[in-house]
Amino acid sequence: MPMYGDLGNKLVQHAKRTQGLAHLPPYQTELVRAATREVRDLDKDVASLLEPFQGSFDPTADQATACTLLVNHLSMRRNKRCLLAYHRTRTDKLEELAWNGTDILELAGQQAGGTNGAPIADAGEASSLSPQEEDYFRQYGDLLAAYKGQWTDIDLTGSLEPPRDLFIDVRVLKDAGEIQTEYGAINLTKNSQFYVRQGDVERLIAQGYLQKLG
Amino acid sequence: MDIDDILQEVDPSFHTIPQEKRDLQELTRAWVAERSAPELLPWPADGLFERINGSIKRQIEKVEEMTGDMDPKTNFALIVIQTELERFKYLVRSYLRARIAKIDKHTLHYLSTDELRGRLSDMELAYATRHQALLHNHYLSSFLASFPPALQNLNDTAGGISMIETPDLESAVFIRLLKNALVEGRGVDTDDATNMQVNDIVILRWSDAKPLVEAGSAELI
Repeated sequence: MPMYGDLGNKLVQHAKRTQGLAHLPPYQTELVRAATREVRDLDKDVASLLEPFQGSFDPTADQATACTLLVNHLSMRRNKRCLLAYHRTRTDKLEELAWNGTDILELAGQQAGGTNGAPIADAGEASSLSPQEEDYFRQYGDLLAAYKGQWTDIDLTGSLEPPRDLFIDVRVLKDAGEIQTEYGAINLTKNSQFYVRQGDVERLIAQGYLQKLG
Repeated sequence: MDIDDILQEVDPSFHTIPQEKRDLQELTRAWVAERSAPELLPWPADGLFERINGSIKRQIEKVEEMTGDMDPKTNFALIVIQTELERFKYLVRSYLRARIAKIDKHTLHYLSTDELRGRLSDMELAYATRHQALLHNHYLSSFLASFPPALQNLNDTAGGISMIETPDLESAVFIRLLKNALVEGRGVDTDDATNMQVNDIVILRWSDAKPLVEAGSAELI
Protein backbone atom coordinates (compact mmCIF):
# COMPACT_ATOMS: atom_id res chain seq x y z
CA MET A 1 0.00 0.00 0.00
CA PRO A 2 1.75 3.17 -1.10
CA MET A 3 1.71 5.98 1.36
CA TYR A 4 1.04 9.66 0.87
CA GLY A 5 4.00 11.31 -0.68
CA ASP A 6 5.59 8.15 -2.09
CA LEU A 7 4.75 9.19 -5.62
CA GLY A 8 6.11 12.68 -5.14
CA ASN A 9 9.25 11.27 -3.63
CA LYS A 10 9.79 9.04 -6.65
CA LEU A 11 9.39 12.01 -8.97
CA VAL A 12 11.97 13.97 -7.05
CA GLN A 13 14.35 11.03 -7.15
CA HIS A 14 13.91 10.83 -10.90
CA ALA A 15 14.56 14.55 -11.17
CA LYS A 16 17.68 14.28 -9.03
CA ARG A 17 18.99 11.46 -11.18
CA THR A 18 18.23 13.41 -14.36
CA GLN A 19 20.44 16.28 -13.20
CA GLY A 20 23.52 14.08 -13.31
CA LEU A 21 22.79 12.45 -16.67
CA ALA A 22 24.00 13.57 -20.06
CA HIS A 23 20.78 12.48 -21.76
CA LEU A 24 17.14 12.75 -20.78
CA PRO A 25 15.65 9.56 -19.30
CA PRO A 26 12.13 8.54 -20.42
CA TYR A 27 9.26 10.67 -19.19
CA GLN A 28 7.42 9.07 -16.25
CA THR A 29 3.92 9.35 -17.68
CA GLU A 30 2.38 6.90 -15.19
CA LEU A 31 4.00 8.50 -12.18
CA VAL A 32 2.91 11.99 -13.18
CA ARG A 33 -0.61 10.78 -13.80
CA ALA A 34 -0.75 8.96 -10.46
CA ALA A 35 0.57 11.95 -8.50
CA THR A 36 -1.97 14.20 -10.20
CA ARG A 37 -4.73 11.70 -9.43
CA GLU A 38 -3.66 11.64 -5.78
CA VAL A 39 -4.08 15.41 -5.64
CA ARG A 40 -7.56 15.21 -7.14
CA ASP A 41 -8.58 12.42 -4.74
CA LEU A 42 -7.30 14.37 -1.76
CA ASP A 43 -9.20 17.41 -2.93
CA LYS A 44 -12.37 15.34 -3.15
CA ASP A 45 -11.74 14.00 0.35
CA VAL A 46 -11.39 17.53 1.65
CA ALA A 47 -14.63 18.54 -0.04
CA SER A 48 -16.56 15.57 1.38
CA LEU A 49 -15.09 16.09 4.85
CA LEU A 50 -16.14 19.69 4.85
CA GLU A 51 -19.54 19.12 3.30
CA PRO A 52 -21.51 18.35 6.51
CA PHE A 53 -20.22 21.56 8.08
CA GLN A 54 -21.73 23.83 5.42
CA GLY A 55 -18.84 26.26 5.55
CA SER A 56 -18.94 26.73 9.33
CA PHE A 57 -16.13 24.38 10.29
CA ASP A 58 -14.51 25.12 13.64
CA PRO A 59 -11.05 23.49 13.92
CA THR A 60 -10.97 23.71 17.75
CA ALA A 61 -14.25 21.85 18.08
CA ASP A 62 -13.25 18.94 15.89
CA GLN A 63 -9.51 18.52 16.10
CA ALA A 64 -9.36 15.10 14.44
CA THR A 65 -11.00 16.39 11.27
CA ALA A 66 -8.87 19.53 11.39
CA CYS A 67 -5.75 17.38 11.49
CA THR A 68 -6.90 15.27 8.54
CA LEU A 69 -7.63 18.41 6.58
CA LEU A 70 -4.22 19.84 7.35
CA VAL A 71 -2.43 16.67 6.28
CA ASN A 72 -4.46 16.52 3.07
CA HIS A 73 -3.78 20.17 2.42
CA LEU A 74 -0.04 19.77 2.86
CA SER A 75 0.10 16.55 0.85
CA MET A 76 -1.55 18.22 -2.13
CA ARG A 77 0.90 21.08 -2.04
CA ARG A 78 3.81 18.74 -1.65
CA ASN A 79 2.75 16.75 -4.68
CA LYS A 80 2.46 19.95 -6.63
CA ARG A 81 5.96 20.97 -5.67
CA CYS A 82 7.32 17.57 -6.61
CA LEU A 83 5.57 17.67 -9.98
CA LEU A 84 6.82 21.18 -10.66
CA ALA A 85 10.35 20.24 -9.67
CA TYR A 86 10.26 17.16 -11.89
CA HIS A 87 9.03 19.06 -14.92
CA ARG A 88 11.31 22.01 -14.37
CA THR A 89 14.38 19.79 -14.15
CA ARG A 90 13.44 18.26 -17.47
CA THR A 91 12.70 21.55 -19.19
CA ASP A 92 16.03 22.89 -17.93
CA LYS A 93 17.67 19.94 -19.62
CA LEU A 94 15.69 20.55 -22.79
CA GLU A 95 16.73 24.19 -22.80
CA GLU A 96 20.34 23.19 -22.38
CA LEU A 97 19.96 20.93 -25.42
CA ALA A 98 18.39 23.77 -27.37
CA TRP A 99 21.31 26.06 -26.52
CA ASN A 100 23.78 23.39 -27.60
CA GLY A 101 22.00 23.16 -30.92
CA THR A 102 20.83 19.57 -30.49
CA ASP A 103 18.09 18.53 -32.85
CA ILE A 104 15.06 16.86 -31.39
CA LEU A 105 15.01 14.27 -34.15
CA GLU A 106 18.62 13.46 -33.43
CA LEU A 107 17.66 13.07 -29.82
CA ALA A 108 14.99 10.52 -30.66
CA GLY A 109 17.45 8.63 -32.85
CA GLN A 110 20.02 8.62 -30.09
CA GLN A 111 17.51 7.11 -27.72
CA ALA A 112 16.46 4.41 -30.18
CA GLY A 113 20.07 3.39 -30.69
CA GLY A 114 20.84 3.32 -26.98
CA THR A 115 23.11 5.92 -25.43
CA ASN A 116 26.12 3.83 -24.52
CA GLY A 117 25.81 0.96 -26.91
CA ALA A 118 23.17 -0.82 -24.84
CA PRO A 119 20.10 -1.32 -27.01
CA ILE A 120 16.89 -0.09 -25.46
CA ALA A 121 14.56 -3.02 -24.94
CA ASP A 122 11.41 -1.32 -26.11
CA ALA A 123 12.16 -0.21 -29.66
CA GLY A 124 8.62 1.17 -30.04
CA GLU A 125 9.48 3.91 -27.56
CA ALA A 126 11.24 6.22 -29.97
CA SER A 127 11.31 9.33 -27.82
CA SER A 128 11.96 9.82 -24.13
CA LEU A 129 9.99 13.05 -24.23
CA SER A 130 6.31 13.42 -23.53
CA PRO A 131 4.32 15.00 -26.39
CA GLN A 132 4.04 18.15 -24.26
CA GLU A 133 7.78 18.23 -23.85
CA GLU A 134 8.28 17.89 -27.59
CA ASP A 135 6.01 20.90 -28.05
CA TYR A 136 7.88 22.80 -25.41
CA PHE A 137 11.21 22.00 -26.99
CA ARG A 138 10.04 23.25 -30.37
CA GLN A 139 8.55 26.43 -28.96
CA TYR A 140 11.60 27.15 -26.86
CA GLY A 141 13.76 26.60 -29.91
CA ASP A 142 11.73 29.24 -31.74
CA LEU A 143 12.02 31.62 -28.82
CA LEU A 144 15.76 31.11 -28.64
CA ALA A 145 16.13 31.63 -32.37
CA ALA A 146 14.16 34.87 -32.11
CA TYR A 147 16.32 36.16 -29.27
CA LYS A 148 19.51 35.07 -31.00
CA GLY A 149 18.39 36.68 -34.25
CA GLN A 150 18.59 40.08 -32.60
CA TRP A 151 22.31 39.58 -32.02
CA THR A 152 23.32 38.42 -35.47
CA ASP A 153 27.01 39.31 -35.22
CA ILE A 154 27.62 37.72 -31.85
CA ASP A 155 26.43 34.10 -32.26
CA LEU A 156 25.01 33.70 -28.77
CA THR A 157 25.21 29.92 -28.81
CA GLY A 158 28.92 30.05 -29.62
CA SER A 159 31.66 28.87 -27.31
CA LEU A 160 31.81 30.29 -23.81
CA GLU A 161 35.51 29.56 -23.60
CA PRO A 162 37.56 32.72 -23.97
CA PRO A 163 39.12 32.73 -27.45
CA ARG A 164 42.87 32.17 -27.50
CA ASP A 165 43.90 31.45 -31.05
CA LEU A 166 42.26 32.63 -34.18
CA PHE A 167 43.27 29.46 -35.99
CA ILE A 168 43.15 25.96 -34.59
CA ASP A 169 44.04 22.42 -35.66
CA VAL A 170 41.07 20.14 -36.08
CA ARG A 171 40.63 16.51 -36.99
CA VAL A 172 37.54 15.39 -38.85
CA LEU A 173 35.66 12.65 -37.00
CA LYS A 174 32.72 12.29 -39.37
CA ASP A 175 32.36 13.28 -43.01
CA ALA A 176 30.87 16.75 -42.98
CA GLY A 177 31.02 17.63 -46.65
CA GLU A 178 32.36 20.87 -48.01
CA ILE A 179 32.39 24.11 -46.05
CA GLN A 180 33.01 27.62 -47.31
CA THR A 181 35.54 29.78 -45.52
CA GLU A 182 36.99 33.11 -46.51
CA TYR A 183 40.12 31.28 -47.61
CA GLY A 184 38.19 29.05 -50.00
CA ALA A 185 36.32 25.78 -49.73
CA ILE A 186 37.52 22.93 -47.52
CA ASN A 187 36.37 19.37 -48.01
CA LEU A 188 35.95 17.74 -44.63
CA THR A 189 36.53 14.03 -45.09
CA LYS A 190 36.91 11.66 -42.19
CA ASN A 191 40.33 11.44 -40.50
CA SER A 192 41.78 14.41 -42.36
CA GLN A 193 43.34 17.28 -40.44
CA PHE A 194 43.04 21.02 -41.03
CA TYR A 195 44.30 24.32 -39.73
CA VAL A 196 41.23 26.54 -39.81
CA ARG A 197 39.71 29.65 -38.33
CA GLN A 198 37.97 28.72 -35.08
CA GLY A 199 34.92 30.86 -35.83
CA ASP A 200 34.28 28.95 -39.05
CA VAL A 201 34.11 25.51 -37.47
CA GLU A 202 32.76 26.12 -33.97
CA ARG A 203 29.35 24.76 -34.94
CA LEU A 204 30.84 21.59 -36.36
CA ILE A 205 32.92 20.99 -33.24
CA ALA A 206 29.84 21.36 -31.05
CA GLN A 207 27.97 18.92 -33.24
CA GLY A 208 30.76 16.38 -32.99
CA TYR A 209 31.94 16.42 -36.61
CA LEU A 210 35.32 17.86 -35.76
CA GLN A 211 37.68 17.49 -32.86
CA LYS A 212 39.88 20.31 -31.68
CA LEU A 213 43.53 19.29 -31.34
CA GLY A 214 46.21 20.54 -28.99
CA MET B 1 52.99 71.66 -17.50
CA ASP B 2 50.84 73.84 -15.29
CA ILE B 3 48.47 72.97 -12.52
CA ASP B 4 45.45 72.62 -14.82
CA ASP B 5 47.08 69.83 -16.78
CA ILE B 6 47.83 67.95 -13.61
CA LEU B 7 44.29 68.38 -12.39
CA GLN B 8 42.93 67.21 -15.71
CA GLU B 9 45.06 64.11 -15.55
CA VAL B 10 43.66 63.00 -12.24
CA ASP B 11 40.09 63.97 -13.07
CA PRO B 12 38.44 60.76 -14.24
CA SER B 13 35.64 62.65 -15.96
CA PHE B 14 38.11 64.27 -18.36
CA HIS B 15 37.68 62.37 -21.58
CA THR B 16 41.07 62.03 -23.20
CA ILE B 17 40.35 58.37 -23.78
CA PRO B 18 38.58 57.67 -27.07
CA GLN B 19 34.96 56.55 -26.92
CA GLU B 20 35.70 53.06 -28.24
CA LYS B 21 38.22 52.39 -25.54
CA ARG B 22 35.89 53.62 -22.84
CA ASP B 23 33.15 51.39 -24.25
CA LEU B 24 35.44 48.41 -24.03
CA GLN B 25 36.29 49.27 -20.44
CA GLU B 26 32.65 49.67 -19.61
CA LEU B 27 31.79 46.38 -21.29
CA THR B 28 34.57 44.55 -19.47
CA ARG B 29 33.50 46.00 -16.16
CA ALA B 30 29.85 45.12 -16.79
CA TRP B 31 30.87 41.61 -17.80
CA VAL B 32 32.98 41.01 -14.68
CA ALA B 33 30.31 42.50 -12.43
CA GLU B 34 27.49 40.50 -14.00
CA ARG B 35 29.38 37.27 -13.59
CA SER B 36 30.18 37.94 -9.93
CA ALA B 37 26.93 39.42 -8.67
CA PRO B 38 24.34 36.94 -7.42
CA GLU B 39 21.46 38.97 -8.84
CA LEU B 40 20.78 40.56 -12.19
CA LEU B 41 22.33 44.02 -12.56
CA PRO B 42 20.66 46.83 -14.51
CA TRP B 43 21.07 46.79 -18.28
CA PRO B 44 23.42 49.65 -19.29
CA ALA B 45 21.08 52.42 -20.33
CA ASP B 46 23.44 54.77 -22.12
CA GLY B 47 23.37 53.02 -25.48
CA LEU B 48 26.58 51.10 -24.77
CA PHE B 49 25.41 48.04 -26.65
CA GLU B 50 24.22 50.00 -29.65
CA ARG B 51 27.71 51.50 -29.92
CA ILE B 52 29.41 48.14 -29.42
CA ASN B 53 27.23 46.51 -32.02
CA GLY B 54 28.15 49.31 -34.39
CA SER B 55 31.87 48.81 -33.75
CA ILE B 56 31.58 45.08 -34.33
CA LYS B 57 29.72 45.65 -37.59
CA ARG B 58 32.35 48.11 -38.80
CA GLN B 59 35.18 45.72 -37.97
CA ILE B 60 33.47 42.85 -39.76
CA GLU B 61 33.09 45.04 -42.84
CA LYS B 62 36.73 46.00 -42.61
CA VAL B 63 37.75 42.36 -42.39
CA GLU B 64 35.69 41.59 -45.47
CA GLU B 65 37.32 44.45 -47.35
CA MET B 66 40.82 43.41 -46.37
CA THR B 67 40.38 39.71 -47.11
CA GLY B 68 40.79 40.21 -50.83
CA ASP B 69 44.16 41.87 -50.33
CA MET B 70 47.12 39.51 -50.63
CA ASP B 71 49.73 41.90 -49.27
CA PRO B 72 51.44 40.20 -46.26
CA LYS B 73 51.22 43.43 -44.27
CA THR B 74 47.46 43.58 -44.62
CA ASN B 75 47.33 39.93 -43.79
CA PHE B 76 49.00 40.54 -40.47
CA ALA B 77 46.72 43.44 -39.67
CA LEU B 78 43.81 41.24 -40.61
CA ILE B 79 44.79 38.63 -38.04
CA VAL B 80 45.10 41.28 -35.35
CA ILE B 81 41.70 42.72 -36.18
CA GLN B 82 40.06 39.33 -36.33
CA THR B 83 41.54 38.30 -33.01
CA GLU B 84 40.30 41.49 -31.44
CA LEU B 85 36.91 40.93 -33.03
CA GLU B 86 36.66 37.41 -31.61
CA ARG B 87 37.51 38.72 -28.15
CA PHE B 88 34.93 41.47 -28.41
CA LYS B 89 32.29 39.01 -29.50
CA TYR B 90 33.24 36.70 -26.69
CA LEU B 91 32.77 39.46 -24.11
CA VAL B 92 29.34 40.37 -25.41
CA ARG B 93 28.27 36.74 -25.72
CA SER B 94 29.47 35.79 -22.28
CA TYR B 95 27.82 38.86 -20.77
CA LEU B 96 24.47 38.19 -22.42
CA ARG B 97 24.57 34.52 -21.51
CA ALA B 98 25.34 35.31 -17.88
CA ARG B 99 22.26 37.54 -17.82
CA ILE B 100 20.02 35.03 -19.55
CA ALA B 101 21.09 32.34 -17.08
CA LYS B 102 20.03 34.55 -14.17
CA ILE B 103 16.79 35.53 -15.85
CA ASP B 104 15.93 31.90 -16.59
CA LYS B 105 16.62 30.86 -13.04
CA HIS B 106 14.36 33.44 -11.39
CA THR B 107 12.05 34.48 -14.20
CA LEU B 108 8.97 35.18 -12.10
CA HIS B 109 11.02 37.15 -9.60
CA TYR B 110 12.42 39.49 -12.25
CA LEU B 111 9.00 39.92 -13.81
CA SER B 112 7.28 40.59 -10.50
CA THR B 113 7.90 44.33 -9.94
CA ASP B 114 8.48 47.31 -12.21
CA GLU B 115 11.79 48.05 -10.51
CA LEU B 116 13.08 44.57 -11.34
CA ARG B 117 11.62 44.59 -14.85
CA GLY B 118 13.51 47.83 -15.42
CA ARG B 119 16.80 45.98 -15.12
CA LEU B 120 16.07 43.95 -18.23
CA SER B 121 16.63 45.17 -21.76
CA ASP B 122 13.57 45.20 -24.03
CA MET B 123 14.74 42.05 -25.75
CA GLU B 124 15.35 40.29 -22.46
CA LEU B 125 11.96 41.35 -21.20
CA ALA B 126 10.28 39.90 -24.28
CA TYR B 127 12.30 36.72 -23.90
CA ALA B 128 11.53 36.34 -20.20
CA THR B 129 7.81 36.97 -20.63
CA ARG B 130 7.53 34.47 -23.43
CA HIS B 131 9.67 31.90 -21.65
CA GLN B 132 7.51 32.09 -18.55
CA ALA B 133 4.38 31.74 -20.65
CA LEU B 134 5.82 28.66 -22.35
CA LEU B 135 6.73 27.10 -19.02
CA HIS B 136 3.34 27.79 -17.50
CA ASN B 137 1.68 26.32 -20.54
CA HIS B 138 3.86 23.28 -20.33
CA TYR B 139 2.97 22.72 -16.66
CA LEU B 140 -0.69 23.21 -17.47
CA SER B 141 -0.77 20.73 -20.30
CA SER B 142 1.39 18.21 -18.43
CA PHE B 143 -0.45 18.08 -15.13
CA LEU B 144 -1.56 21.40 -13.69
CA ALA B 145 -4.76 21.64 -15.74
CA SER B 146 -6.19 18.59 -13.99
CA PHE B 147 -5.49 20.08 -10.57
CA PRO B 148 -8.25 21.66 -8.48
CA PRO B 149 -8.53 25.32 -9.59
CA ALA B 150 -7.36 26.64 -6.23
CA LEU B 151 -4.06 24.83 -6.66
CA GLN B 152 -3.22 25.97 -10.17
CA ASN B 153 -1.32 29.13 -9.27
CA LEU B 154 2.42 29.45 -9.57
CA ASN B 155 2.75 32.26 -7.05
CA ASP B 156 1.28 30.81 -3.87
CA THR B 157 2.69 32.05 -0.61
CA ALA B 158 0.93 29.47 1.57
CA GLY B 159 2.71 28.46 4.75
CA GLY B 160 4.88 31.55 4.67
CA ILE B 161 6.95 30.20 1.78
CA SER B 162 6.64 31.98 -1.52
CA MET B 163 6.70 29.79 -4.59
CA ILE B 164 8.78 32.41 -6.34
CA GLU B 165 12.42 31.84 -5.64
CA THR B 166 14.66 34.85 -5.31
CA PRO B 167 18.41 35.17 -5.75
CA ASP B 168 20.49 34.91 -2.60
CA LEU B 169 21.54 38.47 -1.88
CA GLU B 170 23.60 37.40 1.12
CA SER B 171 26.14 35.41 -0.88
CA ALA B 172 29.72 36.62 -0.85
CA VAL B 173 31.42 38.77 -3.48
CA PHE B 174 34.86 40.30 -3.89
CA ILE B 175 35.07 44.04 -4.45
CA ARG B 176 37.90 46.43 -5.16
CA LEU B 177 37.63 49.94 -3.80
CA LEU B 178 37.70 52.71 -6.40
CA LYS B 179 37.53 55.49 -3.83
CA ASN B 180 38.39 55.71 -0.18
CA ALA B 181 35.23 54.70 1.61
CA LEU B 182 33.79 53.34 4.79
CA VAL B 183 32.98 49.68 4.26
CA GLU B 184 30.33 48.23 6.53
CA GLY B 185 29.88 44.49 6.63
CA ARG B 186 27.54 42.31 8.61
CA GLY B 187 29.06 39.17 10.02
CA VAL B 188 27.59 36.10 11.67
CA ASP B 189 28.39 37.21 15.21
CA THR B 190 29.41 40.83 14.93
CA ASP B 191 29.20 43.62 12.38
CA ASP B 192 32.22 45.56 11.32
CA ALA B 193 32.97 48.92 9.73
CA THR B 194 36.39 49.84 8.38
CA ASN B 195 37.80 52.75 6.44
CA MET B 196 39.25 51.35 3.25
CA GLN B 197 41.65 52.82 0.71
CA VAL B 198 41.56 52.82 -3.06
CA ASN B 199 42.54 49.42 -4.53
CA ASP B 200 41.84 47.57 -1.30
CA ILE B 201 40.11 44.27 -1.93
CA VAL B 202 37.48 42.90 0.42
CA ILE B 203 35.11 39.98 0.50
CA LEU B 204 31.68 40.64 1.93
CA ARG B 205 27.99 39.98 1.46
CA TRP B 206 26.52 41.25 -1.81
CA SER B 207 23.77 43.07 0.09
CA ASP B 208 26.48 45.08 1.91
CA ALA B 209 28.59 45.61 -1.18
CA LYS B 210 25.70 46.70 -3.39
CA PRO B 211 25.42 50.34 -2.17
CA LEU B 212 29.17 50.83 -2.66
CA VAL B 213 29.08 49.37 -6.16
CA GLU B 214 26.04 51.40 -7.14
CA ALA B 215 27.65 54.59 -5.85
CA GLY B 216 30.73 53.87 -7.95
CA SER B 217 32.96 53.61 -4.88
CA ALA B 218 33.81 49.99 -5.59
CA GLU B 219 33.76 47.47 -8.41
CA LEU B 220 33.07 43.77 -8.41
CA ILE B 221 35.98 41.52 -9.29
